[in-house]
Amino acid sequence: MDEKKASRAARAEQLAAQCSDLMVQIRAEKDIKKKQKLIAKRETLHRKETALRNNRKISREARRDLVAYSFIAPNFIGFAVFTLIPIVFAFLLAFMDWDGSNAITFVGLNNFKKLPGDTFFTAALKNTLIYCVGTVPLTMIASLALAIVLNQKIRARGFFRTVAFFPYVASLVAITAVWSMIFHPSKGPVNYILLNLFKVPQSDLPKWFSGGLVLVTLILFSVWKYMGYYMVIYLAGLQGISAELYEAGSLDGANTWQKFRYITWPQLRSTTFFVVVMLTINCFKVYDIAVMLAGGGDGKLSTSATVLVYYIYQNAFNYWDLGYASAVAMVLFVLVLAITMIQFGYEKKLEA
Amino acid sequence: MKRKVLSAVLASAMIAATLAGCGSAADTAGSASEQGQSEAGAASTEAASTEAGGEEAAADGEAITLKWAIWDKDITPYWVALKDAYEETHSNVTIEMTDLGSTDYMTVLATELSGSGSDFDVVTIKDVPGYATLVSKNTLEPLDSYIETAGIDLSQYGGVDEQITVDGSLYELPFRNDFWVLFYNKDIFDNAGVDYPTNDMTFEEYDALARQVADPTFGSQVYGTHYHTWRSAVQLFGVLDGQHSILDGNYDFFKPYYELVLKEEDDQICRNYADLSAEGLHYSAAFSGGDVAMMNMGSWFISTMISSLQSGEYDSSLCGNWGIVKYPHAEGVEPGSTLGTITGLAVTSVSDQKQAAFDFVNWVSGEEGAKVMAETGNFPALMNDEVADIIAGLDGFPTDEASKEALSVSNLYLEVPYAENVSEINDILDTYHKSIMNREMTVDEGIAKMNEEVGKVLGQ
Repeated sequence: MDEKKASRAARAEQLAAQCSDLMVQIRAEKDIKKKQKLIAKRETLHRKETALRNNRKISREARRDLVAYSFIAPNFIGFAVFTLIPIVFAFLLAFMDWDGSNAITFVGLNNFKKLPGDTFFTAALKNTLIYCVGTVPLTMIASLALAIVLNQKIRARGFFRTVAFFPYVASLVAITAVWSMIFHPSKGPVNYILLNLFKVPQSDLPKWFSGGLVLVTLILFSVWKYMGYYMVIYLAGLQGISAELYEAGSLDGANTWQKFRYITWPQLRSTTFFVVVMLTINCFKVYDIAVMLAGGGDGKLSTSATVLVYYIYQNAFNYWDLGYASAVAMVLFVLVLAITMIQFGYEKKLEA
Repeated sequence: MKRKVLSAVLASAMIAATLAGCGSAADTAGSASEQGQSEAGAASTEAASTEAGGEEAAADGEAITLKWAIWDKDITPYWVALKDAYEETHSNVTIEMTDLGSTDYMTVLATELSGSGSDFDVVTIKDVPGYATLVSKNTLEPLDSYIETAGIDLSQYGGVDEQITVDGSLYELPFRNDFWVLFYNKDIFDNAGVDYPTNDMTFEEYDALARQVADPTFGSQVYGTHYHTWRSAVQLFGVLDGQHSILDGNYDFFKPYYELVLKEEDDQICRNYADLSAEGLHYSAAFSGGDVAMMNMGSWFISTMISSLQSGEYDSSLCGNWGIVKYPHAEGVEPGSTLGTITGLAVTSVSDQKQAAFDFVNWVSGEEGAKVMAETGNFPALMNDEVADIIAGLDGFPTDEASKEALSVSNLYLEVPYAENVSEINDILDTYHKSIMNREMTVDEGIAKMNEEVGKVLGQ
């Protein structure tokens, strides 16, 4: 026992010596960054030394850290098992060939080389991009307009806010069924109006769920469904703008448009940033809306309506080509990452 | 102090719960089979000793539990009937069924059989693309040696077995075989004063008949015929001559049939595809609505018709007077050539009791299983006169001679025969079928795309 004690004491002495050595170095060091590093190093050693002298196995600070980590642990373990590891695995799989059962083989870039010549991939990529380009600005404009209107003191404001928010909470299956009826190619009210009021000949009536129009229908549907949600975010942003700014604007003789242009819009910049980033990410992930609206009876999408996530699913779980599915997923990931980075960069530039 | 203890307990409980959650999800992939896990574990140790004792041991003595993957247990009458009949004659065997649901059955099954978490012994194979997937994943046991030992004569399946043979090996035995027939509503023909369809019609005669019986008057519209949105319902008329198949890579032979159907759509002889697809109209609703004179559909619809008319779900004044005839055929082709789709049973490669599992598969797909199937109004793969009599004798089956005659099939071509890439080919054909029927592409363009894309898959 005494031996142990002696060795601990010796070790503590050693650490103390190292500490004072470091102290000398720190004094001599001119570079501020290196100096900070050395200070941190000395502190760690010093803690160890105190722990040894006080006869504790771990230092007070280490213990404090452990307690904190143990509180993060439940969430982090779940995140690691269900998100982090699968993501890393998917990244590796993009360079492999695997069907889920047989041995995994490394195929290098073959999965990626196959992409450009794949009609269904290029169609899915094109459709997803068109969908995003159509949906993001329209939803943003619609939700901002709604928020501004419903921020005024109008009669039954709460009711109209609920009306606007309702599509977002309603079940997707139910509302797609309603849309299918409204836009039904021969019996729907929309085409009925076109036929009778606008005298569009029967044979030229638009088929809302096929051909080039299906993406338009998808975009309209998404704008309608999601504008309520982003309206709420904009409402919160609007209410955060100080009334004094508008008052000052009025005193300077600003008209409504000028108030919007020079007060509301700049004040909402961070809200708009959040809305655009979230919208972009959500748009790239589109799957359910496409399958429900354009999938017909069997939930299969033709080339005019196929989207990236659908193609990933099809490759992974219909053909069990997990490597290729991961490669498509990587393309989606890189695309979203790049666009988000550009957005962040732009936001930073505006801030500066 | 008390508070400290309480918080410690809570924290550890939280961690334990998280860990437990991860554990079970990881090794069973969220399956519904957890319940049977321990029993199956016990069974597999028994089975190991059974196997050591030779094949005969399976037939007598020790208790065996077989796990069987199925779908829609509550609305499909034959699962339980087969299980009960088998357990009655094999007192040492218990069959445990796991219902995976019908919508994504093959996808769920493939997921279950990936990795090592599964403990199924017998799995039902719902379609050929799914079969191809499972075979390529090495999850099914080749049955050749078992078939040889049991001395099964494969010719009893009428050539269907050849369409699902993989590199000379068979991985499933069919037990249910549905074939396509033409359903028709006798009342509509009577009202129009038109003769009923017959068991020997060419496509021209069929088309003329549909046009004759159709009535496009708004308000009292009657459709001469009806095509469901499936690709099988339209383009596969083309494979009935026995010279073409969907694996050909050249689909020019679809053209006359697409043109036939699109022309009928234009003339309002049948409902148009874009409408059907938008409203998701089910074929049973279309036929039971009483405004469709004829409809091509699989023989599974016979038992639906019988039971739904008996339960009153379908209005018998609208569709109660129905009949079936053989599929129309191309000029010069033998009548009775039709499309078929099989349901099979397979033994998993991870099963510890393969011989016992195969015995069950053999029984279900054999004569005794066939009888059970026929008694529940379904078509067994093993069709013979006796089985046809059982079905034609069911209460509610049309009483005319032609309907009974329609049950005899001369040539059966699978909707989807086996090929390695059949899932991809199937999806490509589905996609462009959609494009053609939605009039996004002309027939020629659509078929050209089919040729091109399937060519890529076959060229791999």
